[in-house]
Amino acid sequence: MIMGKEKAIPIIAMVVLFIGIFSTIYVDANQVEKDTIEIYGRNFSLDQLFSDGVERTIETDEGEKTGISLEDIIINVGIGCVQCHDYTIKAKDGYQQTVSWDILKTGIITDHNRVFFPDTAHSFWVRDVIEIEVI
Amino acid sequence: MSNLKLLAGVLVFGSLWGFSECIIGSSLSETGLPTGAIMTGFFAITFLLISRMTYKKPGMQLGMGVVAGALRLFNPFVGCHLCSALAIMAEGAIFEIIWYNISFDFRELKPITMQISMGIISAYFVYIGGYIITQILTPIVSGSGFFVGNLVAFMPNILASGLITALIGGFVLPAVILTKKVDLRLQDRLYYPTTIGISAFCWIFVVGYWFILV
Repeated sequence: MIMGKEKAIPIIAMVVLFIGIFSTIYVDANQVEKDTIEIYGRNFSLDQLFSDGVERTIETDEGEKTGISLEDIIINVGIGCVQCHDYTIKAKDGYQQTVSWDILKTGIITDHNRVFFPDTAHSFWVRDVIEIEVI
Repeated sequence: MSNLKLLAGVLVFGSLWGFSECIIGSSLSETGLPTGAIMTGFFAITFLLISRMTYKKPGMQLGMGVVAGALRLFNPFVGCHLCSALAIMAEGAIFEIIWYNISFDFRELKPITMQISMGIISAYFVYIGGYIITQILTPIVSGSGFFVGNLVAFMPNILASGLITALIGGFVLPAVILTKKVDLRLQDRLYYPTTIGISAFCWIFVVGYWFILV
């Protein structure tokens, strides 16, 4: 028996609401609270990254942004062949973006824990970073 | 209705949608409110529904998405033109798909429960659909490559973020249907000057304002 629109539409709407509610609960329960950034198996605080690195200013379409160069950070953690890998930048809310070395080396991380790149879409500007995974 | 008249309708409603995304959306984002959810749940759904109710032509909302997305793409106020332009274009297409089997006079939507339900479904799928498509297309178009793991990891957030949009849509659709009784038709001699005038205002305000500032 084919269900009519008058029955199907309210049922689909209820399913949609349930999906939204359960996803909200799931996201809230799985929020990662972390003050450090894991890079290549080591944890760094933002203060540590800023005290070890040299600040750099880049020009974005939202103006100048200043922070520590991601190129310096990755080289300093001791990855042998930096251009042989891609890098996944992960945020505490589950958001993540993967970039090549050519893109990563142009980026910075600011003291507000946000990554910026000069020439990418804003979707690559990950905020509240908890990990840079080398893949 | 002539094709030219429909084209003018696509242009004016698409421009109004794009204008609201660029100007109101940019202002809202500074307040910390869930801008994307509000823009889609309220503004996008309102413009899409009013245009469908008024013109009763398939494909119109797809065209509106292209016009609004183009305006967003050329918006010099804020960045990330590509991400939101793609999302808007996708939203127009998804709306067309959802409403494909619904009559143009909305006769299936007489009961209020049907109106609320259709508002919830439309707003939710238009929003999360646009969100997912932009997450896929933006890395591809910008040359960085798409990684499916990134989308999967963020999927619960996308599904959760559509909840507010769905609730807004549940209120907006019945409210828009209430305006059916208002006769918004323009006299023929005023139609083209009005639609082209409003469209031109939207584009000049959004695109031209930057040049005035400089």
